[in-house]
Amino acid sequence: MSITIQNITKRFGNFVALDGIDLEIPTGELVALLGPSGCGKTTLLRIIAGMETADGGEVLFSGQEATHLHARDRNVGFVFQHYALFRHMTVFENVAFGLRVKPRKERPGNAEIRKRVMDLLALVQLDWLADRYPSQLSGGQRQRIALARALAVEPKVLLLDEPFGALDTKVRKELRRWLRRLHDEMHISSVFVTHDQEEALEVADRVVVMNHGRIEQIGSPDEVYSNPASPFVYQFLGNVNVFRSRVHGAWAEVGRGESAGDGETLAFVRPHEIDIEHAPVANGLEAQVQDVHPIGPVVRVELAHASELIEVELTRERADGLGLAKGQHVWLRPRQVKVFAAPEAAAYPLEEGGSGI
Amino acid sequence: MTSSSRRVLPGFGLSLGYALVYLSLLVLIPLGGLVLKASTLTFAEFWRIATTEQAIASYRVSFGASFAAAAINAVFGTLVAWVLVRYPFPGKRLVDAFVDLPFALPTAVAGITLATLYAGNGWIGRHLEPLGVKIAYTPYGIVVALAFITLPFIVRTLQPVIEDIEPEIEEAAASLGASRWQTFAKVLFPAIFPALLTGFTLAFSRALGEFGSVIFIAGNLPMVSEITPLLIIAKLEQQDVVGATALAVVMLAISFVLLLTINALQWWAASRHKGRTA
Repeated sequence: MSITIQNITKRFGNFVALDGIDLEIPTGELVALLGPSGCGKTTLLRIIAGMETADGGEVLFSGQEATHLHARDRNVGFVFQHYALFRHMTVFENVAFGLRVKPRKERPGNAEIRKRVMDLLALVQLDWLADRYPSQLSGGQRQRIALARALAVEPKVLLLDEPFGALDTKVRKELRRWLRRLHDEMHISSVFVTHDQEEALEVADRVVVMNHGRIEQIGSPDEVYSNPASPFVYQFLGNVNVFRSRVHGAWAEVGRGESAGDGETLAFVRPHEIDIEHAPVANGLEAQVQDVHPIGPVVRVELAHASELIEVELTRERADGLGLAKGQHVWLRPRQVKVFAAPEAAAYPLEEGGSGI
Repeated sequence: MTSSSRRVLPGFGLSLGYALVYLSLLVLIPLGGLVLKASTLTFAEFWRIATTEQAIASYRVSFGASFAAAAINAVFGTLVAWVLVRYPFPGKRLVDAFVDLPFALPTAVAGITLATLYAGNGWIGRHLEPLGVKIAYTPYGIVVALAFITLPFIVRTLQPVIEDIEPEIEEAAASLGASRWQTFAKVLFPAIFPALLTGFTLAFSRALGEFGSVIFIAGNLPMVSEITPLLIIAKLEQQDVVGATALAVVMLAISFVLLLTINALQWWAASRHKGRTA
């Protein structure tokens, strides 16, 4: 089932949570709503689910008006960040709940319920936990049960609100790959909300980047990462170094071809798109090594140019080959630069460092 | 190394000893004295005093009215607790404070006030009388007084438990297709049931021992609206201390059995989802 969102607005008091959102989610696609907290992504998800009413705009399911449909009549599966499992019910009863509350004439028989629930538990690989209570399970197990519960009513849409937000890193990675595989098997239209760009880029077919109640960019994970439409998207998806062209004259040369203005531009370069050389290079920027942090397979180098800090990420082999030491003078060469006009960029307060990928 | 020194939490011996002494001084020794006093009677005498028609009628009034009051509050107290937790409204803190008033008010004051209101010429009784409903000076009056006294027990027991239920639980039920009624019956009620049982027990036992408010509104007609505590006082006033203790022991025994039964029910309810605290 496809979802169409037309001009949805929502306010909480003076706070504008959603400011005229238009979005089309085709059948069978896995879409990530990505953005910082407070950007309106969860509100949008809850409006699709019917748990929140929009102040204006429409939600259509398969082209059918659904804006005023009650949550229980939308046939939407919802997975909560904190699982929201029924504590006094066993895992089995939790998953069976959606089937047991069906009107009598639609309700399957006990044997049928048993079979469907056990099939779902097998699907989430937790059939051996059927008789346990939610509090006896780990976070990852609980979330898989919550997913099985949501799938039990055979929803036409699956909505997940920060489904892995409360789990630790390792479980989170496992679970999101598993979710991707599950989605490929079931092919149900799914929307999940996340503030973790790595999660969105890895799992989703399409990523919707949101900020301040508006959509910044919609595209495939590759598209939003390598071709960000705005400085915000650039910053939000991974680390970035920002250079003011008037300060770094040499580097502005690199970006000038794409830039309209002169002097009033900001250049964005990702840390892994910068090379470090010992010898002076054309269009290079001289910098001093401040610190070298080996982090797993990459080595993060902090350098100072005048008073500004620049972050570079090298592969371990490359770093070993260079043999960098604190205080050393080196030259930096960007491989890829994206330039935005300063007024446009200035609309977004630049955060130091951004969030790591 | 002795086994006690292996405990992680310190002070077990001291605190257990203190708890036992305290419990003995306040509860066990007085109650033991009561039983001892009653045991000066032969069993035949005890049985005769404890099973007079008047005594049996008073047990029926005491336990019946207490049960009715606790049951009424189990429904409406739950409603009050629910409203106080779930909905923001102006003056909520004030209403919340009102709930505690029956705790603080001298029960005699409550009894006199209720009797005045519900009497045939009182503000409320005046409108009920033409409908043929008499509250004051009947067993219904006792139920009203006890309901007043026991309301805070149910509300205060349920409030923290209702606060503990995330709204997401209800949203989850709704998204799975449950109606409001199904959500209540299958999701919310089972979650609050153990606490409701606790609140019911507290209210019921408090109502059993209530004296001050009841005697003003009950009318105290022997065989109709006379509670056991009043019968005990009457016996004491006639210097019949042993007779009074006999009735007291009966009350004690029945209360103990009832409380034990309700506790067993609670253990059963809790063990159905023993994993909750694991």
